[in-house]
Amino acid sequence: MNKQRTNALWQLLVLVALAAAVALTLAWPQLPFARREAEPVEVSVILRSADGSAWANARLGMEQAAGQLRAEVRIVTLTADNDAAEQAGLMQYEAQRGADALVVIPAGGLPAGPGAPVITLESAGGAASVCPDNEALGRALAEAALEDAPAGPVLLVDSVPGSAGVSARLAAAKAALEEAGARVEEAAPRGQAALETVLAETGAAAVLLFEPAATEAAAAAKDKLGLAPALYGAGSTGPIAAALERGTLSASAVWSDFAAGYLAVEGAVRIARGESWQPQTLDFSILRGEDIYEPDNQKLLFPVAS
Amino acid sequence: MKKLFARAAASLSGRYRTMSIQMVISLSFTAAAVAGMVLMGLSLVWRYSAGTEQLVRENTERVLAQVNMNMDSYLRRMMRVSDTMYYRIIKNADLATQSLEPGMELLYEENRDELVSIAVFDSRGALVAGTPLTALKEGADPASSGWYQAALDKMENLHFSTPHIQRLFADPDENFRWVVSLSRYVQLTREGSTYSGVLLVDMGFSGIEQVCRDVELAGGGYIYLTDASGELIYHPRQQLIYAGLDTENNLADAALADGAHTETFQGERRLVTVKTVGYTGWKLVGVVPRAGAGDDGGYIFLFGLSMLLFSAFLMAFLNFRISARISDPIRRLEQSVKELEAGAREVAIKEDGCYEVRRLAHSIASMVSTMRHLMDDIILQEKRKRRSELEVLQSQINPHFLYNTLDSVIWMTEAGRYDEAIQMVTSLARLFRIALSRGRSFIPLADELEHARHYMTIQQIRYQDRFTASVRAEEGVEGLYTLKLIVQPLLENAIYHGMAGCEEDGRITVTAKREGGDLLIDVSDNGVGMPPEVAERLLDESRPQTRSSGSGIGVRNVHRRIRLTFGEGYGLEVFSEPDEGTTVRIRLPALTAEEAARLQREEEP
Repeated sequence: MNKQRTNALWQLLVLVALAAAVALTLAWPQLPFARREAEPVEVSVILRSADGSAWANARLGMEQAAGQLRAEVRIVTLTADNDAAEQAGLMQYEAQRGADALVVIPAGGLPAGPGAPVITLESAGGAASVCPDNEALGRALAEAALEDAPAGPVLLVDSVPGSAGVSARLAAAKAALEEAGARVEEAAPRGQAALETVLAETGAAAVLLFEPAATEAAAAAKDKLGLAPALYGAGSTGPIAAALERGTLSASAVWSDFAAGYLAVEGAVRIARGESWQPQTLDFSILRGEDIYEPDNQKLLFPVAS
Repeated sequence: MKKLFARAAASLSGRYRTMSIQMVISLSFTAAAVAGMVLMGLSLVWRYSAGTEQLVRENTERVLAQVNMNMDSYLRRMMRVSDTMYYRIIKNADLATQSLEPGMELLYEENRDELVSIAVFDSRGALVAGTPLTALKEGADPASSGWYQAALDKMENLHFSTPHIQRLFADPDENFRWVVSLSRYVQLTREGSTYSGVLLVDMGFSGIEQVCRDVELAGGGYIYLTDASGELIYHPRQQLIYAGLDTENNLADAALADGAHTETFQGERRLVTVKTVGYTGWKLVGVVPRAGAGDDGGYIFLFGLSMLLFSAFLMAFLNFRISARISDPIRRLEQSVKELEAGAREVAIKEDGCYEVRRLAHSIASMVSTMRHLMDDIILQEKRKRRSELEVLQSQINPHFLYNTLDSVIWMTEAGRYDEAIQMVTSLARLFRIALSRGRSFIPLADELEHARHYMTIQQIRYQDRFTASVRAEEGVEGLYTLKLIVQPLLENAIYHGMAGCEEDGRITVTAKREGGDLLIDVSDNGVGMPPEVAERLLDESRPQTRSSGSGIGVRNVHRRIRLTFGEGYGLEVFSEPDEGTTVRIRLPALTAEEAARLQREEEP
């Protein structure tokens, strides 16, 4: 009899458990903790310049990723271009303010333990990075310059001495040029005026620039001052495309800034949510003026925002 | 396979035959109920899925129709701009004396939210007029553009290009704008003569985007727009696709006919609805993932599964309880019957359960009651029969012995031996008093031994002291009880058989003693004795009874009486040696007064 009673009790327990399962699955979509939508993630993007226009396309990608992944993106610029100390301070501040993850375009070395996971653009570092293969990019840019057979030395401009990405590109370009027997000069001007002075005074036949802001500035200076050196830059901003079209810029190493921005925020959100995410290497190509209206290049250079 | 099926069927059949009624009822009803529920559930799921898909399809088609209408309206507006420009401005102007630009600027200003530029080119591709940008870029070659050539190739049509960056005009702001170019062949007039030209109306991409943006379909669906060849015009993730971070099946979808289709793209099943945008041949494509079409397929599946499990278990539980209500009383009934079979006297037959089972239990209870009465009757009759048999056995002493004794008394009286006659009559009286014992079968051992003494007194007088007799009892055993008149037949046997050859040296002794829980009464004589085989035959019921002279009561009668009363463990044992004598041992349980009284009550009817 006792066994029968125990069996009946067990049967009742199973029945109650199954009834609870039915009730739970029925009410599940309405339960607050069962909502599939993850909590919004706040991502702070800290540029290394005072002007964010060079990163407009990347910003579009960031906003697209933020919309899809329930994230809030806050763009932070510096008061002075490439001020690594200010950038480090801003990283700490943003982390303390409550940012779940940081996307940083490093102006220098990253501070230790900023208080939130860091995804870097342009340079490797932090928890993960989104950037082209900087060594390959530097070599490709040098090869593009060598194709035009510059009749004189080649000037390599290190516009952001603290940036590991820019330094890596420069070092690789220098090695490739020296390997090809070209004479190489280096300059590290700080600011647009200094760059103009360097360009005006150089006797180089070709100038290589390794980041968008310097490329834009050099193209503007060339137009303004009527300078002769052939310019080879990096980036795919509107002024760079215009310079390519005008012929001011002989070639530019371009990649999808939209993709870079999208992937950086995607990585930041995933890492902030504790998911795994791998560093991304962006494809790049060397673009000349005559190529920019090719359909694929149009799509790369001029984002269709939606 | 057939053998396997046959074996499985045989196994099932075998199990079915050995199953309890509860299991048969539970399993059968549960299986039938679960099968019914599964069938019904599948039907409902199928109906629900089909209904949901139909709903999604209709909803998508409705949304696409609305978007198509908006797109058509937008494109017609652009075509009206082109018509106005051509029929109101270009056709009415002689370029030799009139400029197109005032009218063109006015038209542009009226539609500037949707237009990027309006321009007219001559047959060589040179800019005739344009607004708001009035100069071509250095090196610009409109005649090589696709929209220009399309306009000249099919002069009667309006041509819409796919989105592209407008690169013709010199823009001081260096803007690179995505546009959709609407071009047409026009006839320009200069000094009265007409010549060919191309009118270009560049529509801002944002106009198309506004029509398509924020359109959401069920289950996370979306729409996108392609040209007739599948080239993307608008897609909510257009730049992701351009950047290689996403993909779309646009080339295949653009080749589909208008209507709903199902496709699998990158492992995902999707409902694709295609609608052609009237004049342009563009394709509006609505995409709804099948996983999302039913709102929340995972939840519904889990709910359905848990509901099915719950229902099945509930059915099993209820069937088990119901079948238990039927089978438990039957099982209890079976248990009671088994107990009855095992000989239990008091078995309660519970009458519960369903009506039929209660009736069955009642019938069995009645039958058992009847059987008990019958058995009681049989036992009573048996008791009566045994008692009457005992009484017969006991009464066998009386006639012969009485005759002999009375004959001896007569003989002694005639011989003047009055004292002996008196003693004999006295002993006889005592003998009968004890023999009667108020009808009781069990008497104290003291009375039984007293009875034996009186009997021996009578016999000694009759046989003129040819033997001596002594009756002894251990201390404490005389208070025990015994069946009455079991010693006297053995004494009679000893006298008639044992003392047959004795002159004056015969000796008969009766001793009573206790051995554990038994009472032993030995009747010994030093008579002729008997061979062992005769001694063995003495108590054997299967051998014919040897009748001899005397009272006619044999040892075998006493043995049978004891066994009838106390069981097989008790009775007589005979120890005898020829020429040495015989001892007959009576083994009885050592009865107390209470036990004797209880046995006495059981014997009484």
